[in-house]
Amino acid sequence: MWAIIKKEVKSYFLSPIGYIFVGLFLAMCSVFFYLDVAYYGSLQFENMFYSVATVLTFITPILTMRMFAEERKVGTEQLLYTSPRSITSIVLGKFIANILVIIITEIGTLFYLGILYFFGKPHIQTVLVTLFGFLILSMVYISFGMFASSLTENQIIAGVLTMAFFIITWFLPNINEIFAPFSFINMFNKFPSGLIAIEEIVTLVTFTIFFIILTIIVLQRRKSVK
Amino acid sequence: MIQVKNVTKQYGDFIAIDNISFHIKQGEIVGLLGPNGAGKSTTMNMITGFIEPTKGEISIGGYDITKNPKKAKQQIGYMPEGVPLYNDLTVKEFICYMADLKMVSKTEKKQHVEEVIKQTNLIEVQNKLIKNLSRGYKQRISMAGALVSNPKILILDEPTVGLDPKQITEIRELIKKLGKNHTIILSSHILSEVSQICQKVIIIKEGKIIAIDTPKELENKTNQNKFIKLIIEDTDSKLKEIVKNIKGIQKIDLVKDNEDGTKEYVIQTQGNIDIRKELFAKCAKEQMTIFELKTSEATLEDAFMKLIQTQNKEEDKTCGQS
Repeated sequence: MWAIIKKEVKSYFLSPIGYIFVGLFLAMCSVFFYLDVAYYGSLQFENMFYSVATVLTFITPILTMRMFAEERKVGTEQLLYTSPRSITSIVLGKFIANILVIIITEIGTLFYLGILYFFGKPHIQTVLVTLFGFLILSMVYISFGMFASSLTENQIIAGVLTMAFFIITWFLPNINEIFAPFSFINMFNKFPSGLIAIEEIVTLVTFTIFFIILTIIVLQRRKSVK
Repeated sequence: MIQVKNVTKQYGDFIAIDNISFHIKQGEIVGLLGPNGAGKSTTMNMITGFIEPTKGEISIGGYDITKNPKKAKQQIGYMPEGVPLYNDLTVKEFICYMADLKMVSKTEKKQHVEEVIKQTNLIEVQNKLIKNLSRGYKQRISMAGALVSNPKILILDEPTVGLDPKQITEIRELIKKLGKNHTIILSSHILSEVSQICQKVIIIKEGKIIAIDTPKELENKTNQNKFIKLIIEDTDSKLKEIVKNIKGIQKIDLVKDNEDGTKEYVIQTQGNIDIRKELFAKCAKEQMTIFELKTSEATLEDAFMKLIQTQNKEEDKTCGQS
């Protein structure tokens, strides 16, 4: 699995995609750091993450849309699936590689925390809980993006499908309370208050596992129908 | 080494591969031959475990490809059709990645990678990005990727498509060399290639195997007639008259009427009768100058066309009856 993780992370940063993702994300962070933190003279670094989490909706597809769609289009999936590696390890390898990119991006946001340290002492525990929550939210987003990418060989379709799904999950609780567990953003919103929300963590991780399994099933199934 | 038993691949109602069985021994170079859409790639994809057969069993070195895919796939090096590669990697990075994917141990990896780079003549370009290289190089990179785990079996899908004649010769030489230590299956629609490289040929048409034999045997089996090419000075067109008494001639066709008064004929003769001596004597007697006289044996190409046509006729017959 390590081989796949290494290659995937490398691919992101050998092509412009990795830089576009990290660059866009940090650029948006700068905007929200100014609007949500610096503008109020606040030391609450975590406040910008309410807005940053919504940015994730629009930029996750940049990372995930090519994951399987491109391999299928170019034909390199033949190299992957005829190797002795199992589909599960391929899927997990790609998933973990994406999470690593997110972690790299999160490390980038610490720059803003550094600025705050220059002026005072932000509450580090809350910051860590927020970053952890953000990582868990990213996991759901990436697992769904990966699933969408496994459905088609067209990256654009995979990307649009991913974005559409996230936008729908925003508005679901407005339709009916029953859909509240599907609002990933609302679940994340508990973390910046410094709360380690166990129920939310369990729900988000469950969804992540669910989408990973769906991806494995789709790829496994394609072996017998393609 | 490779055992394919009653394998069928179905897509809905469409049968892509229809109950095929064959066996490939260790060290054999086998050619999979067939017109486009015959099922060559589908067969290869099933052997490599890329797709699953609807029915039947495929075993690689004793391991079933669906029940024990890891062990079976470890023995295979596969070069897919159209040479898909990771274009943003360098040649060496790609080969290293393939070694990792194929679980080559860390201690052997460096040595294996260097060996295949040498073997496939990629030393000069090993640090270049794949996307900047020509088709010929890409073909060799794909081959290097297949070879890096030193697999017992090599499966090459159309290995010479899109190459220039020099590159084709190089790849063929490489395949022949590799054949000494590996069992190889290659698919091709270039018949001369198969007859040059392979010891055994499997001809597939519409998902069915219509012949399995050595190229020589296939040629012999379908070669009941010989052809003689004759270029002769024959301004008065009297050749047909002169040779009509020679035994064994079945047909004389005028192929070309040259401006310089010479004519090119193709004479079809029966079985193994060689009429050249008699033909020469008769023409000499009439003082007709022969510029060229040679026999042409039926090639694998003829055998292939004949087999395919026979199959078509049989199908027409059964359709007619039903």
